[in-house]
Parts: sequence; structure tokens; C-alpha cells
Amino acid sequence: MSKNAQELVTPITRRRIFKSKNKSLLTLRISASLFAFLFLIAVFQPFFYRADPTLSDLTMRLKSPNFHSHWLGTDAMGQDVYSRVIAGFRWSLGIGTVGTSLGALIGISLGVSAAWNRKRLRIVLSRAIDIGISFPYLIIAVTIVTVIGRGFWPLALTLGLVCWPTIARIAYAETLTLREREYVTAARLFGIGSIRSIFTHILPALRPTIQVVAAFTFAELLIAESGLSFLGLGAPLGTPTWGNMLNESRLYMESAPWMMFGPVTAIILTIFTANLLGEGLNAREHSRSTRVSQ
Amino acid sequence: MAGQGASPETIAAIRADYGFDKSLIQQYLIFLWDIIRLDFGKSLVNSQPALGFVLKYLPSTLKLTFLAVFFNSIMAIPAGVWLGAKPTQRRRKILSTIVSVAQGTPAYVIGLLLIQIFSVWLGWLPSIAGTGTWSWVLPTATLSFALSPNLIRVVAASIEETTHQDYFRTAKANGAAPRTLLIKHSLPNALLSTTSLLGAQFAFLLSGALITEYIFAWPGLGLILVQSITNLDFPTIQATVFVVAYLVFIVNLIMDQVFRLADPRLRRSQL
Repeated sequence: MSKNAQELVTPITRRRIFKSKNKSLLTLRISASLFAFLFLIAVFQPFFYRADPTLSDLTMRLKSPNFHSHWLGTDAMGQDVYSRVIAGFRWSLGIGTVGTSLGALIGISLGVSAAWNRKRLRIVLSRAIDIGISFPYLIIAVTIVTVIGRGFWPLALTLGLVCWPTIARIAYAETLTLREREYVTAARLFGIGSIRSIFTHILPALRPTIQVVAAFTFAELLIAESGLSFLGLGAPLGTPTWGNMLNESRLYMESAPWMMFGPVTAIILTIFTANLLGEGLNAREHSRSTRVSQ
Repeated sequence: MAGQGASPETIAAIRADYGFDKSLIQQYLIFLWDIIRLDFGKSLVNSQPALGFVLKYLPSTLKLTFLAVFFNSIMAIPAGVWLGAKPTQRRRKILSTIVSVAQGTPAYVIGLLLIQIFSVWLGWLPSIAGTGTWSWVLPTATLSFALSPNLIRVVAASIEETTHQDYFRTAKANGAAPRTLLIKHSLPNALLSTTSLLGAQFAFLLSGALITEYIFAWPGLGLILVQSITNLDFPTIQATVFVVAYLVFIVNLIMDQVFRLADPRLRRSQL
């Protein structure tokens, strides 16, 4: 009986552990390589061009896709859609990177200081985080962009300034539990100052969680950025960005639907990759913590 | 506003009308005092009171939001329950793959694709608002499809979580049928965590419908906001943002109360 039970139990558990561990790393590997590949396109974009993305040739207006010259067709100005999609990678990934970094910087600083302080600062900051998280940030972004204008840096900085609440709340919650750990208390008893303790004990321990949130924030900023460009509030008109291209394609849905498919695919692919990266990082963290507890 | 060849007196009169002849601090204090009295000034475009102008468009946004949340729930909650009950089954894995791909897809991409398929290629549905009942279908579908992947995932995850709980195991050991287990034991607990997401989605829609309304020319807050931004019509922008913020505040308040009513544990801890 007991032998039978053991035979039944052991293979299943072993297989389950093996499978889950393996799968989490697989997701992470695939998504990280895809993500790196998208960044390579963004950095080395001239090598991927088939034509100058801003070169317009009015004799080649609204040509349908063909294998020889224009893989994804041409738009209303006779510009090559494929090359413009490639050019859009630098804009989108650049804004995502700058915005997420700024948001993470603000979010971590506010979250950690709110959790570390036990006095009035905590009340003020945690209320600020609550307010920030409950308000839809797209509206704030739209309002700020209206005032400060269009372009790469205004857009990237605005998105960075509005996306911090999620990161701050998670940094806050994590720091609250971290600061009660034995090693942090021990460090305090040894007379190690707050600043040093935060930098050597809290921030490194926060890193895995922040990585996960940052990947999801990145995806969200991509959505916000292309949405703003689509409304004509993000990129200056004529700049090759996905939002702009989608906006231009709206007028030619009947005659030139291919103008839409390139940017749509690029947006879905990039956002999916960023989300997958977040899930992969999350799964790795989970498998790590379960392994430690075993 | 007064035309090219306006006399200095006319210009001065308009400046005085908008209060530009006062100092900046005075202007700012007047602005604050007006906002306390819910007076956002007149629209720079059509000279109507901005708040009244915005409120006129509020019902159609609310209607769209309610419809989207409603269809999203009746679509996503059953799908999530089905997915969460046995997440490892192969045909359910197909759904979970679709969901994770669709999760990040922005609403306006879905909207454009739906227009392309159903209005341009098939010609079944109108793509512009205000042309009868059928014009409601595409905007509602767009917003529901945009929100549902998230909801499906959360419902599935919470259903799955309940199956690991002690009370669930006890009920199962006592011989409860799978259907009873799912409906009586898993669902109430799972829906609890879903309520907060629904509230967040409602709040998100009030702003997220911005772009969808623009695509479908839906006469709502989002369309007004975009139009007033292109016209640099500041009083209207301020009034719209104020209305949206107020609605979000109210939704959050209501969700807190719903949460308290739905969860006996929270109610007890309050007493």
C-alpha cells in the first residue's frame, strides 16, 4: 500500500516541479531574446530600412504590398510603410525606456522613503501614492502634454512623471516587510545608518520585484504613447511613429488597409513581448522563492 | 476673437472680460474661487459655460461605460471560471494563450481592426456614432474586448486559488459534486477579488474611452477632451478633467462600500 502510494506520488511531484521550473525559465528566455531583438532593431535601424522612412514619392502613393519593393505597401505620401514601422521602434522603445526609468526612480524613492519613515512623512507619502494610483494617468498625461507641447522628450518625461504610483505602491509594500527582517534589524543594531542600510539592504532586495513591475509599466507606457500619438498629441505630425501611422491610415481604410497592418502588428508584438517578459521574470521569482522554502 | 482690425477699446474690453487686466496672483485667486463655486468659465470656442457643456455629454459616456462593463462581465466571468476550474486541460490552454496575447492590445487597435472587418470589408455595422442602435455595437465591443483579457485572467487566477484552500478540500472530501464545488464554494470568493478590478476598470474606462470615443466619433467626454485640446480651449479641458476626477472619486467610494458589503470579514473588522 505504502509502496504503491509512493510510486504514485513521487513521479507526479517530480515531474511537476521539473516542468514548472523549466517552463518559467523558458518564458523568460524567449521573451528576453525577443525583447533584445526589438532593441537591436531600434538601435541599428538603418540596417533594416528598405527605403528612407521620410522619403516621399508621390508617384508611388498607396501602392499595395509587394515582395520586390514595398513589403508592407506605401502610404498616402508614397513613403515605405515597412521602413516607417522599423523607424517607429526607436521612438516607442526609447520613450518606454526613458519613461519607465524615470517612473521607477520616482516610484522607488517615494515608496522606500514612505515605508522607511515611521512619522508624518509616511502618512503624507502613502496618501499621495493612494491618490496617484486611483486617478487614471492618461488624463493627466494628456493635460500635461497639452501645456508643454509635443516631441520625444516632453512625451517621455510626462509619461515618466505619471506612471510612478504603481511602482511606488509595490516598493512601499515590499520595503515594509523587508525592514522588519532580521538582517536589517541587525544592521541597525550595529549602528549602520538609514541611507547606507537602504542602499545595501533594501534596494538590492527590491530589485526582482521592481523588474517585474517595470516590464509591465513599459508595456503600459507603449500603449499610452501610441495612443497619444494616435490622437495627435504625442509625436509631431509626419514623424514615423506607430500612433501617427495608425492615425494617417484611418482616412484610407477602404482603399489602403495595409497602411494599418504594419503598425498594428508592431504594437501588438512589442506590448506582448514586454508583458511576457514581466510574466517570465515573475515566474522566475516564484520558482526561486519556492525552491528556497523547500 | 474680435477680428483683425479690432479697435484698442474692443481688445481692452475683451481683456477685461476675461480678467487679463488684473495681476497674475489676482487672476489665480479668482480662478481658484471660481472653481470652488464650480464655475470653470466660458468655453473659448462657443462661449457656453464650460461645465454645463461638458455635463451635457456625460450621459453618453456613462452609457457606453456601463454597457462595456456589463458585456465585459457577462463575457469574461464565465470564461474565467471555465478557465480557472481546470487550467491545465489542453483546450482551456488555448484560451489562456489567446488571453495572454490579447491582454496588451490597446483598445484603439481593437477598434480599428473591428471597423476594418465589420464596416469596411463586410459592411455589416456602421462605424460612426449616432446612426441608430447598430452604431452602439462596435464601440461597446471594442471596449469589452479591450477589458476582458484582464478580467478573464483575474477570475481564472482567483478560482484556481480557491481550489487550494482548506475549506475547498474539506467540501471536496465531503463529496460535493464538482458543479456545487465550483458554484457554491469557489465562485463567491473569487468574485470578491474581481469586484475591485471591475471598479478599477470602470474608472479606467472613463479615461480609456478617450481614444475609443475619438475613433467612433462618439459624442462623449473623451471626444470633447480631444477636441478642446486641439482647440486649446482651456476652460473646457479643466472642466472635463474635473468631471472625470470627480467620477473616479465616486466610483472608488462606491467600490469600497460594495467591498465592505460583500466581504463579511471586512464588515466584522469594522465593527
